[in-house]
Amino acid sequence: MKRIRPYHLLSLLMCFGVSVLPTSADIFSQCPTDTDGIDTDGDGDAANDHVCMHVTAGDGFVNMADGRLMYMFGFHDVTGLPDADVMADGMLGAEFPAPTIEVSEGQKLYLSLSNVGMMVRPDLFDPHTIHYHGFPEASAIFDGVPGASVSINMGSTITYFYNNVEPGTYMWHCHVEVTEHMQMGMLGNLFVHPIQNNLPNLTDLNGFTHQTGYTYAYNDGDGSTYYDVDYPIQLHSFDPVFHDASFTVQPLPFANMKDTYFMLNGRGYPDTVNTAELLNTADDEGYEARYSQKVHSLIEATEGDKILLRISNLSTTNFYTLTTTLGIPMKVIGRGARLLRSASGQDLSFETNALNIGGGEGLDVIIDTTDVGPGTYFLYTTNLNYLSNDTEDFGGMMTEMVIAPLAGAAADEQRSVRLRRVDTTKRIRGGKPLR
Amino acid sequence: MGGNENNQEAHGLLEYGIMRTHLHSRGTQFAVAVTAALALFAADAYAVIDGLTGSTFTLSANDGYVLGGDGLSIYTWGFANDTGPMQYPGPTLIVNQGTVITIFLKNYLPEPVSIVFPGQEGVTATGGVAGQLTQEAPADNGATTVEYQFQASEPGTYHYHSGTHMDLQLEMGLVGAIIVRPTEFPVDQWAYNHADSAYDHEYLFLLTEMDYDVHLMAEFGLWDQIDTTTFHPVYWFINGRNFPDTTLPSGTPWLPNQPYNCLPRMHPGERLLLRIIGGGRDLHPFHPHGNNTTVIAKDARLLQSPLGTGADLAYSDYTIASLPGQTVDAIFEWTGAQLGWDVYGHAPGDPMEPFEYAPDHGKPFPVILPGQQELTFGGVYSGSPFLGAAGDLPPGEGGLNVYGGFMYPWHSHAENEIVNNDIFIGGMLSLLIIEPHGTPIP
Repeated sequence: MKRIRPYHLLSLLMCFGVSVLPTSADIFSQCPTDTDGIDTDGDGDAANDHVCMHVTAGDGFVNMADGRLMYMFGFHDVTGLPDADVMADGMLGAEFPAPTIEVSEGQKLYLSLSNVGMMVRPDLFDPHTIHYHGFPEASAIFDGVPGASVSINMGSTITYFYNNVEPGTYMWHCHVEVTEHMQMGMLGNLFVHPIQNNLPNLTDLNGFTHQTGYTYAYNDGDGSTYYDVDYPIQLHSFDPVFHDASFTVQPLPFANMKDTYFMLNGRGYPDTVNTAELLNTADDEGYEARYSQKVHSLIEATEGDKILLRISNLSTTNFYTLTTTLGIPMKVIGRGARLLRSASGQDLSFETNALNIGGGEGLDVIIDTTDVGPGTYFLYTTNLNYLSNDTEDFGGMMTEMVIAPLAGAAADEQRSVRLRRVDTTKRIRGGKPLR
Repeated sequence: MGGNENNQEAHGLLEYGIMRTHLHSRGTQFAVAVTAALALFAADAYAVIDGLTGSTFTLSANDGYVLGGDGLSIYTWGFANDTGPMQYPGPTLIVNQGTVITIFLKNYLPEPVSIVFPGQEGVTATGGVAGQLTQEAPADNGATTVEYQFQASEPGTYHYHSGTHMDLQLEMGLVGAIIVRPTEFPVDQWAYNHADSAYDHEYLFLLTEMDYDVHLMAEFGLWDQIDTTTFHPVYWFINGRNFPDTTLPSGTPWLPNQPYNCLPRMHPGERLLLRIIGGGRDLHPFHPHGNNTTVIAKDARLLQSPLGTGADLAYSDYTIASLPGQTVDAIFEWTGAQLGWDVYGHAPGDPMEPFEYAPDHGKPFPVILPGQQELTFGGVYSGSPFLGAAGDLPPGEGGLNVYGGFMYPWHSHAENEIVNNDIFIGGMLSLLIIEPHGTPIP
C-alpha cells in the first residue's frame, strides 16, 4: 500500500500529525514568491505568476431592492490587509456577492480563507470552505467539500492553491452545510482569462490579427471569442423566511425553501443598475453599517462593441431563463468553462434568444452590438413572475444594457454602413424591393 | 422466461466500516485492510450496473415501503421482478441491441397500470384493457397479464414507466431504467457502436423526487384528497435512495425495496460512464465534482453530426441539466494533471503512477495546512491530501476511506434537493471515489 514518502519537512510533519502552526487559532495568509523562473502566464515576466488573495468568511447584512434588510453569510475581501487586522475588518463584513475572483491562465492563485465567526449568531461555530466550482482535475483537499477534506474553524486561516490552466467562466462558493451557506449568500463570480490575451502584438490568428490589449474568452485561435467589454452576471435568489429564521435563531426551513427575491450579482432591479457600492442598514438592528453589495450589473458598451457576458447561476432552488430587448440574438460561445468547439474543430456555438441556466451551470455569451442602435436595453428573465422583489411587483432579475453612440465620423460611417446593408437585403429576392 | 438474478454484489461504502476494527494505530493498517477487502470484492468489471439481463421479463406492479434517508418509511408503488419484492426503482433491464424484448405486466395495485417505453420504436401491447396510451392491466390482483413487445434496435440509455394516471403513478414510484447494449458489447465495453463511448466503469443515475404528502394519503387510501397540482417534493433520490444510503452497498438487507446504490468509483486515467435519467417530473442540474464531464449522447443517440462518426458533437460541461424524461450519457475522466504539485506526494525519485502527470512529479505540496485543532475534519477524509495516503486524524474520525482515495460529491446543484425531508444533508447526492491504482473496483 502506497505510503507518504516524507522526503521534505512539510509532509513529514503532516504525516505524523505535528502541527506546523501554533495550535492556537491564528490568522495566517500565505503568498509564496514565484521563484521558478518560468513565465507561465505568458506576460513576459517570470516572477509574477503567483496571485494572492485573502478573504474572510462570516456573517453580515444586505438590503434587498425593496429596502428589506436581510441577514446573510458571505465572504469579504481583505487582500493586502495585515494578518493582525483581518479579524476586526472581517467581522460583519460579509459581501453579496462574494468578491469577484479574476485571474489569468498560467497564474497560480493562493487564496487564503480566514473564518471570522458569526457576530449575530455567537452560538454558531460553523467552519467554512471555498469550492472553486468547475476547477479542472480538482484535488479533494482544495475542492472545499467539508466531508471529503477539511474546513477552517473560527479564528484560523486555510490557504487554497489553484494552478489555473483552463480559461473560462466559473464560480465559487462555500460548501460547508452547503444548502444553508449558499442560500445565505456565500456565492461569487470567478473567471480566468486565456493566455491568448498575452500574445505578441500583430500575431496572426488564422486570419485574425491580434493586437496588444485585445481580449478573448478562450484560446480560440481565430479571434472568434474576441470581446471589447466583459461582465460577470451571476444569478441569485433569496428566501426571506430562511434568512429571518437564521437571524432569529429558529430552525431553518429547508423543506419549505422558496425564493422570492431574484437577483443578478446580489441585487434586484433597480439596484442592479446602481453603479455605487451599497451601504447596508445594519444599524437599524444595532450593528455597524457596512458596504456589503459591491458588484453592480449595469452593462455599458459603445456601438459596435462585442460584449461578453459571463453568466452563472448559484441559486439553490431554480433554473432561470434570460433574454434581452436588443432585437438581436445572443451567441453562446462557451459553457462549463469550455469553448463550444468539438474535438475535431467543429463550431458548436449557437445563437439564441433564450438562455436557460440551472444551478451550477455557466455560459459565455457574446453580443455583437454592430447592428444595435444606441440606447438602453434590458437583460431580464423570461420567468416574468421573477421580475419582482418579493411582493414588490416590479424589479427582480433584470438589468440594463446601455449602448452609447460612437462619436463623430466613425459613428456616421458605421450608421451608413448599416443602412447600406439593409438596402442590399431588400434587393436580394428577385430584384424587387420587399415591403 | 424470467430474467437472471439481480446482481447483488456488495460494492458499497459500508464495507470500509468493517475495516474499523482493524485500525489499531495510525499508519499500520493498510496491508490488513487491502487483504480483507480483496476477499470481499469480486472483480467482475462488467456487472456494475445491477439489473436483469435476458430478453423476457415479468414485472409486477406492487406496493411496499421505502426508507427515506431520514429513516421515515414511505409508502411506495414499484415494479417487482416477477414474484420478488416490490422495488424502487423498478428492475433495470439490461438487454442487447437487436433483441426482441418481451415484458409481461401483472398488476397488484388498486388501480390500472400500464408500461410505456419512451424512445423504443414499434412497441406492441396485447392483453388487458385499452387505456389512454396503451394496454393496461386492470386492478385484478394479478389475474390479467399484459404483454409488451419491442425490438431494442438502438443501443443506449432508456427508461420505462407507467402510462396510466401518470401524475400519480410516477410520483408513487413506477419507473425503471433500460440499458441496451450495442452489438459491439462485450467485445468492447462501449455504450454505443463507437469507441467514443468506451468506458471502464459505468454507473446509473436515475433521478427522481417524492412529495411525501401524496404517499401518506395513498397509504390511507385517501385517493380523492390527493392533489398532484400542489406538488411539493421533500425527498430526492438517485437510483431509489437518498444520501447517505446512496453510498451503501447494493442489496443492503435493511433496504429490501431499494436494491440499487450509486457509488461511482474509478482509478486515475480511466473512463467512467454516467447514465443519467430524468425519471421524475423536475429538472435537476447534476454537478459531478472533480472535473468536467463530456456529454456524448442524449436520449440514446450519440451527439453525432450528419456526416460525422461517433460523438463528434460531444461537449464538455461542469453541470449537466437533467430534464424530466430525458437520458444523458457522459464520460468522466480524471488524472490530477497540471495541479502544480505531486498529487501522490512522491519524492522526485519515486516511480511514476499510471497516468500520472510527469511534469508535476515530485513537486512539493504548495501550502502549509493549518494545525489539527484549527480544522474540522470530513468523515471520508483520509487524513492526507495525497492520493493513496493516510494521515493523522482526530480521535473518532477515520475508517471510511481505507484506500486513501479522493472523494467528490456528485449531486444536484439545486441545493435544496440535497436534503432529506427538512434534514440536511441527504437527497440527490452521492460520492465519486477516485481510488489509487491497485484498489479493486468491481
